[in-house]
This record gives sequence, C-alpha cells and structure tokens, in this order.
Amino acid sequence: MTQIDHKKILAERLSARLGRRAVLKGLGAGIVAATAGGSFPAVARAQQSGHLKIASVKVIDTLDPHFTGFLSAIQIINNIHNGLLKITYDGDMVQFEPDLAETWDLEDERTHVFKLREGVMFHDGTPCDAEAVKFSLLRVKEGEPASPHAWKLALLDEIEVVDPLTVKLKFSQPYAFLPVALNGSTGRAGTIVSPAAVQKYGADYGRNPVGTGPFKFVSWRENDAIELEANPDYFEPGLPKLEKVTFVLMREASTALAALMSGQIHGMTDCPMQLVDQVDAFPNATLYGEIEGNYTFVGMNCKRAPFDDINLRRAVAWALDRDTLVKQAYFGRAQQAYTPISPPMTGYFDPDIATSGRGQWFDLEKAKEFRAKAANQGEIEVTYMMAERGPVGTRVAQTVAPMLAQIGIKANLELIEPASWVQRRNAGDFDLYDFEWVADLDPEETLYPEWKSDGSWNFGGWNQPEFDKLCEQASVELDIPTRASLYHQAEDLLMDEAPCAMMVHMPIYKVLSNEVKGFNYIPADLVNLHTVSLG
Amino acid sequence: MIRQAFGKIGQTLVVLFIVSFASFGLLKLAPGDPIQIMLGSEYSPEAYAALSAELGLDQPFWTQYAQWATNFVRGDWGTSYVARTDIFTYGFTEALPVTLTLASFSLAFAILIGVPLGVLSAVKKDTIFDAGAAVFALTGTAFPSFLLGILLIWFFGVQLGWFPVMGYVSPWQDFWGGIYHMILPALTLSTYFIAMITRLTRATLVEVLAQPYIAAARARGEPGWRVIWVHGVRNIALPLVTILGLQLGTLLQGTVLTETVFNLPGIGQMLTSAVLGREYGVVQAGVMMTALLFITVNLLVDLSYPFLDPRLRDRK
Repeated sequence: MTQIDHKKILAERLSARLGRRAVLKGLGAGIVAATAGGSFPAVARAQQSGHLKIASVKVIDTLDPHFTGFLSAIQIINNIHNGLLKITYDGDMVQFEPDLAETWDLEDERTHVFKLREGVMFHDGTPCDAEAVKFSLLRVKEGEPASPHAWKLALLDEIEVVDPLTVKLKFSQPYAFLPVALNGSTGRAGTIVSPAAVQKYGADYGRNPVGTGPFKFVSWRENDAIELEANPDYFEPGLPKLEKVTFVLMREASTALAALMSGQIHGMTDCPMQLVDQVDAFPNATLYGEIEGNYTFVGMNCKRAPFDDINLRRAVAWALDRDTLVKQAYFGRAQQAYTPISPPMTGYFDPDIATSGRGQWFDLEKAKEFRAKAANQGEIEVTYMMAERGPVGTRVAQTVAPMLAQIGIKANLELIEPASWVQRRNAGDFDLYDFEWVADLDPEETLYPEWKSDGSWNFGGWNQPEFDKLCEQASVELDIPTRASLYHQAEDLLMDEAPCAMMVHMPIYKVLSNEVKGFNYIPADLVNLHTVSLG
Repeated sequence: MIRQAFGKIGQTLVVLFIVSFASFGLLKLAPGDPIQIMLGSEYSPEAYAALSAELGLDQPFWTQYAQWATNFVRGDWGTSYVARTDIFTYGFTEALPVTLTLASFSLAFAILIGVPLGVLSAVKKDTIFDAGAAVFALTGTAFPSFLLGILLIWFFGVQLGWFPVMGYVSPWQDFWGGIYHMILPALTLSTYFIAMITRLTRATLVEVLAQPYIAAARARGEPGWRVIWVHGVRNIALPLVTILGLQLGTLLQGTVLTETVFNLPGIGQMLTSAVLGREYGVVQAGVMMTALLFITVNLLVDLSYPFLDPRLRDRK
C-alpha cells in the first residue's frame, strides 16, 4: 500500500520553482517560514508617513474581489484585502504561502485545514474569523448574483467551522489548482471580505470595499482617483509604511509618463510596451517587469469555413514568423511562445521548449505543405477583426496579414470599436482575431477555460474530447511531474489541431520613481504597497 | 416678451426631446452590449438574464426610452451600471464643474489674448506684427489640440517643470492651485479660439477704423488709445459674442480631448468612458447636460444683444 505523504505534497504545492535555480525548498520550509511572522499576535504599531501617488492607466471595474475580471482592479483590491493564501516572490521562486491563515494542513488529500491568525480585524472593526472565511467562500461558490470565479470552488463540498479560528474545507476530489484558487491575488476566490460590509452595502460593496489589508479604502472619484489610507491595525508588524496611497485614474499613458517625469506622481501600475524605451532612458525611475503568466495568439473560427479545415489552420500556425512579430508588434520586448504554458509556471514550463520539437513555430515550407493539403486551393478571403485594445492594439493584425498572404490567405483587416469587438467575438462572428490570455500562475487556468469544448472562453468553438479528458485528469493529479506531463499532452494536441496560432509570452511592466523604496515585484501583475516607503 | 419667453422654452423642450431621442436611439443601434462588457466573459446565461432584467435592458426599446424620459424629467437620472453612483450627482456635482471651469478659463484666455493681438494687428496693419499675428492665427487654427496639449506637457511640464501636467484642483476650494492646474489645459483648448478671435478682431477693427466717426474723433484731438479702445474695440463685442455662442459646440468638443490628455474628470471623460462601456444612462445624462448648456448659452447670447448694441434696444 502506498502511503500518501500529504505534508510533502503540500510543501511542493507551496513552492513553485521559478527561474534557473534548481534547488527545491526543503520539506515544509515554506510553511515554517510563512508562519514565523504570524506567531506574534501583539501587533506592533507602525509609524506611517508619506503619500504615494501612482497612475493606473487601465480599466478598474469594481473593487469587489469576487466580481472583478481585471488584474488592474486586483492591484488595488490586494492592498485592501487579504486572501487565505498569498503569492510571494524572491526573484527566483514564486510561492503560495499562508496569508490570513497561520497554518495550512492536509488531513487527507481532499481535506484542508486552515488555522487563522488570531486577532485580525476587518477595517470596520468586525473580527476576521472562521465564520467570515466561510461567508466569503460561500459568496464565491454559490452567492447571488453568481461570482464569475465560482468555478474555482466548484469542487468544494463542505466548509466546516471547527472553532472560531479553524476552518476545514472538504473537496470532492484532490484539487491541484487550490493554491491559486485560494490566494487573494490572481485567484480572487480566496479573498476574504467583511460579511458585515457585504450585508450593509450589497451590490455596492465594490465601491465600498472592507477587508483586512494594509490599507483602508477612503474614496473613489470617477475618472479621477481612488484613495487609500494606512490601516494602523494591520496584522503584519511594522507595516504598512505609507500613510496614504492615491491611485490616479488616467486614460492616457503618455500623460502618466509625463507626470512621472515631472515628479507629479511616483509611478505607474502598468507601463505600456511602447513607452518602455522612454522609461529606460529616464534616470530617476526604475522599471520592473519580467515575462509573466500569459500568451498571445491568433484565434481561428473552427465552426465555419474556411478554418473548419484543420490543414488550413495548421498552415496558419506554421506561417507566422514569430521573430518578426516580436520585433514589429511587441516592440522587441516579448518572448516567442511555442505552447501556452508560460515561463513563470515552473514545474510545468519546459525550459528546453525551443529545442524540444514541441509546439508551433515558424516554418514556411511546412506551412505551404499544409496549405497544399487544404480543401480550398483557391485564394481564400477571410475577415480579421481588430480593435484598439489589448497591449499593442492593431499592430498584431497588421503584422500577421502579410504573413498570411504568403500562403494564399487574404486577410481583410476590419477595424472595429472595442465594445463591438467583444460582442462579435462572444457571438463567434469572425474568421480571425488576436487575443492575449493572462493566466493565473497554473496550467489549469492557462488551458482549460480557453480551449475546453464549449468553454466560456472558447470562442473559436474547437471541440476535442481527448483534450478535455487530459485536462480533467490533470486537475485532480497532485504529483507535479505527472500533472505536467498530462498538460503537455493536452498542449501538444491543441498545438497540432491549431484552433490558435501561438505568438508570444509578454513581459508586464511597472515603473516607480527612485524615491519609492521597498517595492517587492511579483510576476503576477501585482502592486502590493505594504512594504513600500518614500525616501 | 412673455410670449417670446414661452416660445423659447417650447423650442428648448423640442430640441431636448430630439437630442435625447437621437442619442438614445444611436446608442442602442451601435453594436456592443453593456452586460457583456460588465460581466467579462466568464458568465452564465442566468447571470446575463438576471442582470439584464435588473437593469431593465430586456425591455423593448420604446419602453426603455419612455422609462428613461419619465425618470429623467423627475430628476431621477438613474444609477450608473459600473460606478453604481447616482448619475445626477456624478454629472452635476462632479463632472460638470470641471468642464465649466475648463471652458471658462479657455474663453477668458481666448478673449484676453485674442482681442489685444487682433487690435495690435489692426493698428499695425501690414507690418511685421500683423504678419506675425496672421501666422500665429493660421497655426493656431490648424494645430490639433491633442498634439498641442502633448507638446505643452512636454515643454512646460516635463522639460521646464513649470506647470503640473495633469489633474484637477477645484478653484473654489483652492483658488491659486486651481488656476495653476488649469493653465496648460486652458491654453491647449483656447489656442484655436485665440486665433479665431485675433482674426475676427482685426477684420472688424480695420473696417471700423476706416469709418468717418473715427476720423472725427481723431480730429477732435482724442488720444490714440482712447480712439482705438473706446470707440473702436467696442464694436467687436457683438460679432465676438455671436461667434462664441456659435462656436460653443467646438469648445465643448475640444474639452473631450483636452480632458483626456490632461486627465481632468469632466463631462468629456465621463462621456468617453460611458460610450466605450455602453453606459446608456450616463451617456444620456452627458448629452443632455451638454445640450442644456448649449441652449442656455445661446439664449444668453440672444439676450445680451440689446446690451451690446444700443441700436437693437428699442426694436419690437
């Protein structure tokens, strides 16, 4: 009989290796390290000073963590709320560590026990206890209106409040995605909100968020600014360091850059790729950014002619010159993608992908061979819908069109307004479009919602039961190498049948003035400000 | 007089009805679905139906319009879907003051710079000053305001560091701070109007200065400045007010770009984000406020004629 070592599995789940360092963290070290800070219930009062002003140039839809679909909103939400778990990064390793939880244990492979920190209060003075955790998880899982993140807790069968500081979660199956689902950052589902505030504000909670985080929400002025102030009772001793934070809501990134250069603001939560050269040349600010968990692709409509023809799709997949795309469309800043799983998902990302022969890359001869096998041998005219949206706007479409011409596909570029673009994409009314998938740091969310048969993001309508089966197997597999190999098989199938032509993995940039000290960069598009001070 | 007033009010109501109906209809005709935008793509059909019922978007077009119009007249402008704030409060107390401040500063700049420049080129007709002012006016009219805005930001904001490059400070709360933040945006927006007023002033004044009564004034021995500023410039008021009333539309259009470039939270930004997000209620509110503003200003222009030109005073 094989004994499952849950502690070992947990330790592995807690640390996902990133970068070149090959050493795995020691058994359970992640848990010990993470709990060290929490064992001092007496909170040392921090001396807060400084008012940080940072521009946010992307859409902020709501500050309700359970309802937002935007990482730009998470950047702010994560300064107001905490999750059961959090993502940390030391320059090499991305780790999932307990946050509001003090310890996290596995009773068996389906039962997780969280012991919460003692004495943590929400900003409205109510306690953050096991009942509050239960309330938040239920709000995501089965709340009304339905949370878009509900699927992340679909396998959660039972929430048991063992005592005021202990909560036990029982899942119907082993759940490999759990660390991502339960963290307060990209997963959203594990963010804990104040039950009293949700009852008080109802649907307006997103404009009146109340969490346990280092900063309290003060105000949100439309098209102007979101103001936060320090939470002096924050549970991490000595934090936060800033007294006030203003997220200046700006639409025009070049104005934000000018404001940064003239010293009116201290940074930008997102620095568009086209401005990176200017920031690099500016001596008083620092650029933060690495390749993050994402991939971009040209999507093809498998439900109608001409791309219901697998050979034509393969021809497109091999005809895209990724080198040129990186240079022309992505300002030379991105990295070629062979498959969807991206570099920060270590354990799953194949560092030798470029030489492995897996995935898709540029080979015009091969593209022409596939083109010769296609059902339609005449010139094919297709509609490529594009919009001024995403990180590089219409540049991708303009770079791709001449590449398609080389294999006898005439792409009519149709420029439409972003709202109609979304509507037509969702209705499946297109031949080609390009998109960037920003993923939680796990292969499940990278592959499954986007490409499973009838998935809500599968706009091209690709249908492959074998792919679905592989992903479902992988989602309940806790052993990382086995799970990785299942996802690789799924990816290979996806790349071969080519409902999409892979393009690049993108770096995501932030810029902060050199006055800003103590910022910890995390490659999940986060702007956590609790450790930041102004020097 | 009373009949006239009633006539004006009647006209205004008709115009408002047409404007509101047209913008409501156009927005509905435009592709794009607010619920899809709000829910992202990870939504279920039930969530879609629930939200659409909650917002009344499942009703037929006519019902939606009638509902909106009734509530609008009652002063209930609804709640914005995304911001979940009261549209009336947002529009009137937050966005409108910003746009009004920007517009009035721009007008003030336009008059304070445009009129003297025009006088200078009329008095120094066919000299280097006149040619210089003409070149300035041509450039000013031809230069797109967003480009000028960015140039001003780079030069005065980043290179010289003299002025803040973005943000709004209410002059009612902090007078000098308000002015300080408004200088670059107002300059950007007013350049076109400075140029226009310069040309208008010059043309009018050149004609006026050739009139016999000016020669008579000079013959009486009145000082040169008095002849020009009292007898001459006074004649500019009427065409100036007329042109400004007519060009108010251009000015309000300009605020959209200027507000975006300088990040001012006014009606322009409110409209842009609302159109992109298909926030029907907010777009309607923005359009109605703009229309009301336009009508009010033109009414004021009409009413001001008798004060500006004595010849119009006693006409029935």
